[in-house]
Amino acid sequence: MVVSESNQVVAPPIQRGGFFSNLATGLKSLLKGMGITFHYFSRPSTVVTQQYPENRATLKMFDRYRMRLSLPHDENGFHKCTACTICEQACPNSSIRIVSRKGAVTNKTELDRFIWRMDSCTFCNACVVACPFSCLKMSGDFECSVYDKSLLVFNLTRYAGPTSTVLMKVTDPQERAKMWEPRDVYSGPVPLRGTAVPGGGRTLGAPEPVKASAPVAAPTPAPATAPAASATALAVEEEGGKK
Amino acid sequence: MSSWEVKTIAQRAAEAMPESVLAGAGYVLLAVGFAAAFMALMGMALIYAERKVAAHFQCRLGPMRVGPHGIFQTVADTIKLLFKEDIVPSQSDKLLHLFAPYLSMMATLLALLVLPMSPVVQIADMNIGVLYVTAVTGFGVLGVLLAGWSSNNKWSLLGAMRAGAQIISYEVSATMALLVVVMFSGSMQLSKIVESQAEGWWIWRAPVIGLVSFVIFLIASLAEISRTPFDLPEGESELTAGFHTEYSGLRFAMFFLAEFINMFIVAGMAATLFLGGWMPFHIGGFDTFNSVMDLLPPGAWFSLKSGLVVFLIMWFRWTFPRLRVDQLMKLEWKILLPIGFVNLFAAAASVVFGWYFFPIR
Ligand code: SF4
Ligand code: SF4
Repeated sequence: MVVSESNQVVAPPIQRGGFFSNLATGLKSLLKGMGITFHYFSRPSTVVTQQYPENRATLKMFDRYRMRLSLPHDENGFHKCTACTICEQACPNSSIRIVSRKGAVTNKTELDRFIWRMDSCTFCNACVVACPFSCLKMSGDFECSVYDKSLLVFNLTRYAGPTSTVLMKVTDPQERAKMWEPRDVYSGPVPLRGTAVPGGGRTLGAPEPVKASAPVAAPTPAPATAPAASATALAVEEEGGKK
Repeated sequence: MSSWEVKTIAQRAAEAMPESVLAGAGYVLLAVGFAAAFMALMGMALIYAERKVAAHFQCRLGPMRVGPHGIFQTVADTIKLLFKEDIVPSQSDKLLHLFAPYLSMMATLLALLVLPMSPVVQIADMNIGVLYVTAVTGFGVLGVLLAGWSSNNKWSLLGAMRAGAQIISYEVSATMALLVVVMFSGSMQLSKIVESQAEGWWIWRAPVIGLVSFVIFLIASLAEISRTPFDLPEGESELTAGFHTEYSGLRFAMFFLAEFINMFIVAGMAATLFLGGWMPFHIGGFDTFNSVMDLLPPGAWFSLKSGLVVFLIMWFRWTFPRLRVDQLMKLEWKILLPIGFVNLFAAAASVVFGWYFFPIR
């Protein structure tokens, strides 16, 4: 960038040579380009294509690959999310919904459900960047096809409760167990801001749910690994929500 | 040195004709069959090669699924194209629309006829071979123009007009480069030109001049067959598909095939004129070296050389960006043509004074 005396950015002057010098520069730059392309051509190791279904067993996705959002849980099974909702606000299309609650033991706001709508997520990474505690991560798990769109609305946290830091301060496992209760991927009301969500029961334009003051009733634990069963559970709950 | 006896299929047919009409007809059939099969097979092979080469230039793998390393991909694509519906737009000039692809294909076929692939694999050998090739390749623009005009589509017409301007302009430079070789070898007959390179190829035997005219010929003929970086007639980012926007099915396949065979013809002509054609790599006087080189049959030498040039053309395609229309014209009229002229005069001088290796006269 060239800045003139009046502090304005001006375009760099175009270097114009004579006929032969232009010819020489032209040829030189063409040859340079050919050198670069030949570098890639002659090295099969630079090929990035993955033979996907064939190498499914060995396929390792790349660090920068963005697919399913994840809230990594540490070796004790706890995450770092404080339910600050910064990611929810950062999301440009409201794909995240943080449902928080008042902790039963700590009496502080803690995460109840981290709802992520894959069906509207654009994988822009804004939530990951926005999180002040770096709890979110884009995982490379890309095999996400389902037959029902409603199965693309996930709850990312495995338990409702405070962060791992708070939990690990409590040394007695018995006491610690009182502070959290399990959550799974699908079950429970999963309302997102202003949209009708399967199992949510709320429709467009409905008022915001009361957040921390009225904790969402803990649902009966449903099997997390059986989507079909969860879908039924969702349907049942929708019935309940209408009443 | 010149132990090669050139015998074209046309000659054989002419010899056989007086004795038995059947044998003569057999040779004619052989020629026709050879040309047709060559076009189809070469087209498929080139398209496959192009896709693979392109893929590896771009860090991809290219076709991998149909057959080992996707070698049957183009076969599958061809079959698909054959069965596709051939749509003729209702507002088009139907006769011309149907006729244009054949015209394009014919130019390619006619040029293919005289290409000397080896002393025995050449369909016809004319005493005006170079002139003939220049003439019939110029014919191809007619097909392109007709296709663009008859489609009644703005993209087609724009593409065709660009093609017309481009091909006519670059023909001048290409011919200028051809003339250099004609002067050096003293003949327009392609087999004679090949034989004149028994002592060495023109690209290095005529110092600098040969190389310069090779480069000019390559650039100009790339523009003539509208390959990238000169693919303005069909620049897909600007003109959808240019002159063949309205073509589908078999007729599209014809344009496509003609394009790829044209690439081979350019490579073959460049190899014939500048790289010795089917003549093995000889250096005049080095008899032992030359006889070692003769171990490889002429057909293999021709394939190697034209394969090399084809690769070079593909390499250009996947490296260089497309020119703008004004840049295209500038390149031809302000750069290539002056250089070509100077080169032609230099060639004339060096022919007269024998300023090249192993002078013929
Ligand atoms: S990646 Fe972007 S769209 Fe998806 S949840 Fe995060 S912020 Fe929202
Ligand atoms: S994931 Fe991060 S930004 Fe989002 S609520 Fe939890 S702590 Fe806040």
